[in-house]
Amino acid sequence: MYNFEFAKAKTIADAVKALSSGDAQALGGGQTLLPTMKQRLAAPTTLVSLNAIPEMIGVCVNDAGEVCIGGATTHATVAREAAAHYPALAALASHIGDPAVRNRGTIGGSLANNDPSACYPAAALGSGAVIKTNARDIAADDYFLGMFTTALDEGEIITEVRFPVPQKANYQKFVQPASRFALVGVYVAKYAGGVRVAVTGAASDGVFRWAEAEAALSADFAATALDALAVPGNDMIADLHGSADYRAHLVKVMTKRAVAAAA
Amino acid sequence: MGQLGSRVGLYDAATVRVSATGTIQVMTGAHSHGQGHETVFAQVVADKLGIAEAAVEIVHGDTSKIPFGMGSYGSRSLAVCGSAMDRALDKIIAKGKKIAAHMLEAAEGDITFENGSFSVTGTDKAKSFGEIAFSAYVPHNYPLETLEPGLEETAFYDPNNFTYPAGAYLCEVEIDPDTGKVTICSFTCADDFGNVMNPMVVEGQVHGGVAQGIGQALVEHTAYDENGQLLTASYMDYAMPRADDLPFYQVDHSCVTPCSHNPLGVKGCGEAGAIGSPPAVVNAVIDALHRAGMDHVDHIDMPLTPARVWAAMQA
Repeated sequence: MYNFEFAKAKTIADAVKALSSGDAQALGGGQTLLPTMKQRLAAPTTLVSLNAIPEMIGVCVNDAGEVCIGGATTHATVAREAAAHYPALAALASHIGDPAVRNRGTIGGSLANNDPSACYPAAALGSGAVIKTNARDIAADDYFLGMFTTALDEGEIITEVRFPVPQKANYQKFVQPASRFALVGVYVAKYAGGVRVAVTGAASDGVFRWAEAEAALSADFAATALDALAVPGNDMIADLHGSADYRAHLVKVMTKRAVAAAA
Repeated sequence: MGQLGSRVGLYDAATVRVSATGTIQVMTGAHSHGQGHETVFAQVVADKLGIAEAAVEIVHGDTSKIPFGMGSYGSRSLAVCGSAMDRALDKIIAKGKKIAAHMLEAAEGDITFENGSFSVTGTDKAKSFGEIAFSAYVPHNYPLETLEPGLEETAFYDPNNFTYPAGAYLCEVEIDPDTGKVTICSFTCADDFGNVMNPMVVEGQVHGGVAQGIGQALVEHTAYDENGQLLTASYMDYAMPRADDLPFYQVDHSCVTPCSHNPLGVKGCGEAGAIGSPPAVVNAVIDALHRAGMDHVDHIDMPLTPARVWAAMQA
């Protein structure tokens, strides 16, 4: 690891200011950034910690009934505090990594990083969440732009994520045997206006919505509604843990299981 | 051992040093890095001399203190180094008899050693092991031409054959037909390791070996790409078996056929678990697929990851 300066912001305004200088880098839970720095693959001159900004930490429900989670809220806190309001989301958070990861990693950090195998992008996209930053609100449909790529501008901070609460939802993760990230993870959420299906881990462009499954499930929310569908393997990741065809197959299997578990 | 093809003597060595107070240090050529030598070797010494295990210290790993040995590998530590220890203890007892004969004014041939006591056969005249040890270092009127003071002996033991443990391993698996994921439901090991010095240590060795073997069978894989670049250079991609990958094991060693050619009657046990488990796991998977009607699958290369099992099921 190279030397760096460390700034601990107390307010969002402080953090935005600190991030405007040089090649300063925001630090959430550091679950990706710190290992990257240790391997000397990243060398920011300044880290700006977002973990001591009270207005960015915690879980609440707003007047519209949405679950609002501060950007610097850890997975462990979401698992605990969102359970009563949005059980499927809390369950997803409770299975990210291991306890050490869940006690450090944050929802804002995960969404800003947009790892193609991360769990939270599936929840945000599958719930049609709104990603609130210091500058604007971004709909999840406009936010995820590809592997490790998002709509965030340089120095822009995720301050809160707002999740509309569905009638039914479930997340099914089939883990990669070594890292236990999602080899394929599918988030299914049924709203009054229709069903959303978001898939993580599988595609080379990162999280995506499976439109055909959404249409079929909106008409009939049952695992059998997916029987005739198939996901093409073209855009799937292929590596030593699974071929593109295997991942495409798992997308359907995990979607059916999520529907069965949610129904 | 050289005649059997190893081309060197595969001996090991032990030095037994008895102090004036009767405590014992054993310097061993074999090294313990988790196998439990400190426990089991001390047991062997304590049993043979009829003294407390707490009086025995096993010294290993420091080349400035230990005799030259061949080391710990090949499930050999107790069978070879333990036998060297046993031989050195024979020498200690033989010398103890000479000292006892002198102290008890009896012929050396009339001295019996039993339960930590040297006695004149058929009488109640006896000296404890501690008294003999003390006398060895504080000798009185020793016939120095034939009886040196001190009580310390070294033995090198070169086995004249391998040991032949035998076992049977039984594995039951379930396969998720949608994903190819293999779950081990039960795992039973029955081994004949000859005489078992410490059942708990032996069971632990089998547990560790089976875990390693299941890891090899199901998850562990060193993979390179076509340019020779290692793809599994971290635990993000190299899968180590973890506790939740493994079942509880049933381990049995009730069948005891002592080894016929070493003094302890023991056989190697360290590698058995790792040797028996991979074929048991793979055979169970193939058997399960056959029972599900997939007779075409006769072989899947290890590790049997979900992706590989699923691919085999599609063919």
